[in-house]
Amino acid sequence: MAKITQDQAHFLLLKINSLMGLIPIGVFLAFHLGINALRTVGPLQYQLSIDLINNLPFLFGIEIAFIYAPLLFHSMMGFYIYFSGKRNVGHYGYPRNWRYTLQRITGLIVFAFLIYHLGTTVAPKIFYGKHQFLAAPFLMDIMNAEFQTWSGRIIYLIGISSATFHFANGLWGFCVSWGIIIGQNAQRNASIVFAMVGLVLTFLGFATVLEFSLNPIPVTPTVGE
Amino acid sequence: MSQKTIKLKIKRQDNPRSKPYWQEFEIPYQPLSNVISCLQDIQKSPATANELGVNPVIWDCSCLEEVCGSCTMIINGRVRQACTALVDQIESPIVLEPMSKFPVVRDLMVDRNRMFRALKKVKAWVDIDGSQDLGEGPIMADSVRATRYTLSECMTCGCCLEACPQYTKDNSFLGAAAFSQVRLFNLHPTGAMHADERLEEVMGKGGIADCGNAQACVEACPKNIPLTDSIADISRQTSLKLLKDLLLK
Ligand code: HEM
Ligand code: SF4
Ligand code: SF4
Ligand code: FES
Repeated sequence: MAKITQDQAHFLLLKINSLMGLIPIGVFLAFHLGINALRTVGPLQYQLSIDLINNLPFLFGIEIAFIYAPLLFHSMMGFYIYFSGKRNVGHYGYPRNWRYTLQRITGLIVFAFLIYHLGTTVAPKIFYGKHQFLAAPFLMDIMNAEFQTWSGRIIYLIGISSATFHFANGLWGFCVSWGIIIGQNAQRNASIVFAMVGLVLTFLGFATVLEFSLNPIPVTPTVGE
Repeated sequence: MSQKTIKLKIKRQDNPRSKPYWQEFEIPYQPLSNVISCLQDIQKSPATANELGVNPVIWDCSCLEEVCGSCTMIINGRVRQACTALVDQIESPIVLEPMSKFPVVRDLMVDRNRMFRALKKVKAWVDIDGSQDLGEGPIMADSVRATRYTLSECMTCGCCLEACPQYTKDNSFLGAAAFSQVRLFNLHPTGAMHADERLEEVMGKGGIADCGNAQACVEACPKNIPLTDSIADISRQTSLKLLKDLLLK
């Protein structure tokens, strides 16, 4: 294999970063919000979904390879990209320039939110060793408590809407920067479609927050003591 | 006696390394004047409200009909050409600043060399001869000619780069104008023979992948060049080249 130059590495890293926003991170977000919305159907349905996830084979490997490593890579590149430009919506406040700026700001917000979110879910789960069927009741207790406070609700509403905006606008950017949509019409039509994708995901997330806030129902492990 | 006047507020800088400062000027109103004619009037007897005999304001211009791009500056906060900025159509006092993305030579005059270096880097030309006679070129479809005509109107003025949040003084971003020129010359039937070389030049640091799709460039372009179409098109060409290089080479 030929030696790769610094320029080629730069280009490749940015391309991989753009792809990662969609696969696996974007796909994860869509699944995550969709599965969480099972809570609106009922606590049992939600519990079964968490049971399934927490009983997956090679769960640790899957989480590292498909969630944490890509997220870490995507956020580190995100910081690099953030500092490579200088936002100027003050002078040139065109709608697309606003979305460029918001894409960067929501990235920062989601990064902060994820530290909080993982710190209140995955971290205690691992710390207290709540694996397999013990995970669901433990996590749902945490969520129930979090959504009893307004600060908890607001943190999630901001985190969720930032993530869905970032993802929906990111889909659009992905399509432009891979040359899938080119003409002005195609770009406008695509932004309408992706805005709807974003709204649907936001709706799923908000509905889950509402359900947790109104009905904090605790559950017992599906299997085991 | 109260006479109608034109007020200007100008950001000045004596040399590339000195600090900028502001000065205000007031000149007699003349119908149909533009920003260049105001600067010419100031030059006749340069004086501010409280200081006589200040240095004349320096600017750059040539064609006076918005085809050379050399008079580009920031007028009332927005980047545009001074020769087509008609006094009757813009707010007063008229605030003039040099472009912020290029080194200032003096007052309103900047050095746009980085743009020309970018054009050289991306080989923005058609090679017409080499060590042997290439013969007549292939025929071009009229639709391609029409697209190319629009792209060829670029006057390397720098508006697109001034408005671009990704183009900063301390990075190496090539910018929308250069990407659009890659499209222009890759569309040419003879130019296409060197398409890959041009693409390689924009597949590195400062290249097409650094564009953040803010699309401020296309809003700012005085020639209405479809810069974002060009960016997406070059994105497609480079993405395909990347896949080809990875999978087929
Ligand atoms: C509707 C609001 C949300 C709820 C109720 C929720 C709930 C949860 C729960 C309970 C877990 C732990 C899963 C487990 O370990 O079994 C989790 C993990 C996670 N969440 Fe959320 N979440 C929400 C929104 C978000 C958002 C907006 C993001 C942003 C992308 C996000 C990103 C993550 C990530 C990265 C993990 C780690 C996944 C893993 O380790 O398997 N979540 N979430
Ligand atoms: S689309 Fe945005 S980032 Fe890309 S060149 Fe235009 S203004 Fe700059
Ligand atoms: S693309 Fe438009 S704004 Fe940019 S340099 Fe050319 S003419 Fe000026
Ligand atoms: S003088 Fe040529 S564009 Fe204004």
